[in-house]
Amino acid sequence: MDNTEASVYLAQFIGKNLRIHTTDDRVFGGQMKCTDKDLNIILALTYEYRAPPADFIREAIAASGNPSVPVTWNSRYVGLVVVPGAHVKKIEFEESVTGRSVVFL
Amino acid sequence: MYAGFAQHHDDVFSDSRQPTSSASVGLPLRQAFRQPVGEVKIHDISDKFRRACNALQVGQLIKDESFTLFESIGALEIMDPKMDSGFLLPDETLEDAYDTLTPLLPEEVIGIMDQLLCYEMAWHTGYPLSQTLFTSVYIDKLLWPDPKTVEEAQFYRGHLPEGKRPDALLEVLRAYCLALVKCCDFVIAKIVGRDYFEEEDFCTHTYNRVLLARVPLDVFLRELDAAADMMEDTELEIDCALRDAIISRLSFRRDFLRALDLDCPLEHLSTSWPPILKTLTSISVTQQLGKIVPGSFSTKIQRRLASTVPPRPIVELEFKDAFEKLKQLCIDSEEATRFTTLEPDPLEYQSFLFAYASRSPTPLPYSRSYLATLLFHPQILNATASLPLTDVRTLVFPSSTVLDPKNWAYSPPRNPLAPKPHRLQLALLIDEFIERVGQPYLDFWTALGQNTCRLRRMMTHVITAWDQLQRDAASVDADLMQVITALGVRNEVMESPLEVWVYHKKLWMVEKCILLGFEQDIYLPDEYTGMYHFLSLIVRKRRVVLGSVLAHFSMRATQLDDAKEHNEAPGVTDGALYIASLMKEAEGVQELSAALSSFYSVLLYLNALPTPPRPISTEELRYELRMKPFLALEPPEVPDFLSFQNTIKPYGPYDDPGPELLAQLKHDQSPLWTNIESGVKRAREAFAEVKNMGARNAKTEGVSEAWTKDIKGVLASCVALGVAAAGVRVAIAKMEGEDVKNLGIKVVVPDMGKGTRYAEGWIVGKVVAK
Repeated sequence: MDNTEASVYLAQFIGKNLRIHTTDDRVFGGQMKCTDKDLNIILALTYEYRAPPADFIREAIAASGNPSVPVTWNSRYVGLVVVPGAHVKKIEFEESVTGRSVVFL
Repeated sequence: MYAGFAQHHDDVFSDSRQPTSSASVGLPLRQAFRQPVGEVKIHDISDKFRRACNALQVGQLIKDESFTLFESIGALEIMDPKMDSGFLLPDETLEDAYDTLTPLLPEEVIGIMDQLLCYEMAWHTGYPLSQTLFTSVYIDKLLWPDPKTVEEAQFYRGHLPEGKRPDALLEVLRAYCLALVKCCDFVIAKIVGRDYFEEEDFCTHTYNRVLLARVPLDVFLRELDAAADMMEDTELEIDCALRDAIISRLSFRRDFLRALDLDCPLEHLSTSWPPILKTLTSISVTQQLGKIVPGSFSTKIQRRLASTVPPRPIVELEFKDAFEKLKQLCIDSEEATRFTTLEPDPLEYQSFLFAYASRSPTPLPYSRSYLATLLFHPQILNATASLPLTDVRTLVFPSSTVLDPKNWAYSPPRNPLAPKPHRLQLALLIDEFIERVGQPYLDFWTALGQNTCRLRRMMTHVITAWDQLQRDAASVDADLMQVITALGVRNEVMESPLEVWVYHKKLWMVEKCILLGFEQDIYLPDEYTGMYHFLSLIVRKRRVVLGSVLAHFSMRATQLDDAKEHNEAPGVTDGALYIASLMKEAEGVQELSAALSSFYSVLLYLNALPTPPRPISTEELRYELRMKPFLALEPPEVPDFLSFQNTIKPYGPYDDPGPELLAQLKHDQSPLWTNIESGVKRAREAFAEVKNMGARNAKTEGVSEAWTKDIKGVLASCVALGVAAAGVRVAIAKMEGEDVKNLGIKVVVPDMGKGTRYAEGWIVGKVVAK
């Protein structure tokens, strides 16, 4: 991918909702504001999501008897954050059906 | 901003084309409009995103055009332990293992209650909930997940097996915590209910937790009563002292909650605080019975609070200090309730507000909001007579046709082109002026409702607004004069009355501003001579204004006497007493400030005052800085730099005085000394007279105690100044040779707020041997 292509590709995600999974297994969902060569990503209006503790999940499974019982993740508002590239594990793009602009994946 | 605040406006949108099936009944039933919740598609773009980033050049940013570097600095860095409140150390867990259902000992319940009280007071002094009450595991359990009902607000969620239900003591703690949360809710509502508050004083952030806002007061009172009954139950085996300690805490919380109630009617206010003050003692004496429960408070809860700031440590406020704050809060609030019993006179209100702001220690934000709520209470603001109008009448319109109520009874002529009756014109002019005064007047009171530091800063802005008002007043005065002359009652009205009123109030504010500067140690000791001199200049002008007002009052009294208007005359004579009291006070302030200015000027010549090195600034720049708030005033109040310098340095520069200084210093009857002495003497006489005339004539009856104390303080300052000046003279008399710079004395300036000054605004240095 050359520089122009990369810039165009990345620029499409500005203002779009991304979900960034970090190395400590949290997920940050927010609007992309900025990124750079080191994959540092700045998100605005971000929520932090965290899976409940393991024993909580165990209890939920034991109580329901269903090994795939849904549990709610803890979430909270954290606002403007920068996720350093070194801690980015996975990046997901949330495509909303109602959104008008088209993003070329 | 927060997800929880997203409101459903479904019912706002209606589809007008929908036939209303129930048209016959007339109910406007509408079909709810639902936003199509589209399926959100998630695409994993990790690889391509990574590759694209890789292809960027070093330093190249792909960013939103409106997104600036400045903004990016505010971003929290994820995984940085200092910034990321959600960061966990390798083997750290998110939650504490603390079980809120573990039975507690009575000592522990007391310990937790008292610690909660400490955090509550820490919050009152300005720390956020996240570092105080919200660190309590118990409160966290009650409030999260957000309970729909009070029954749901428990130390557990969902269904509990029969044997695990919380025991009686936990129920008692729960009732206490619920009431505590409601107290916080009331406090926040009271403070944000004010038009003016600043975040620097108080943190209203609740991190997206709802503090049981919708649950009415009586529910909490019931819970507390039930808890008290449980404690009194004889089957509960518990030490008597511990039982009493817990009961007194419950009853304190009950009384406190009732006192904080927003809907507490005006007439019940004054009775709501004394019972709290009574229970307080029993809490403080039983505090040592409590036992700390270490795991019951945790910083980890911050990780789950909506927070855009880095994690911060728990604020520790000692019980002793917290208790003092609580006591102060109750005493100050009780004092504020006295506002409702004041005579409905704006000048009494003004004295009360000023005295309240000057209370030491400074009232907490809650108490100040409490007073402000009373001040702006509709029952008080909508008093029959307009408050600014009453204020104007008191100062410049003694028994005047201008404010005759009859003027307002005239109706305008049917023909709009015909001239209006003169009296109606008067009423219209006054109405116009009073409306113009409204906002500056309110601003003035809002400023008086702040703590003294902000009061001083805000006052400088209010002064500017009043300066503008003064110009407008002058133009209304001109119109007024025409009408008055046409009516033939020109001799009943003083020269430009409205302007005089505004100018007097403005000068009063400038004076207070300077005095507050001394009170708050804004000025350094080597600036005292200049600032006291400036104060004396301002107050001299106010004296002149008051002089003309007083002359008008006595003329009015004579006129009324001559006209045999015996109903009106006593009112004017009484009114003149207030003016006379103001006049005497102004005289005292002028004499004392002038004497202090001369005294400090002598000390500067003697090199007896600490003078910090100021390598970059010049005296002229510093002068400009000090005078900045007053530079634009009209008429000009600030003398130009050179003449100012000449006055405060009568014998030439401080480090190189002229020869006449020595002669004056050594001569017993030289003006240098006699000016100070006679000034002190005249100031004492003036203040003593103000004191004799009493609080009623000074329109400070509502705060007569504080007022008397202030006057006594000023009188003591006069005496202290006399003593200090004598001390310097003795040192000079003993001096051998001519080196006045090394007299072997120095001046100790008493610290502010330590009670070492007789009056906080009147700084009198103590002369001691070096």
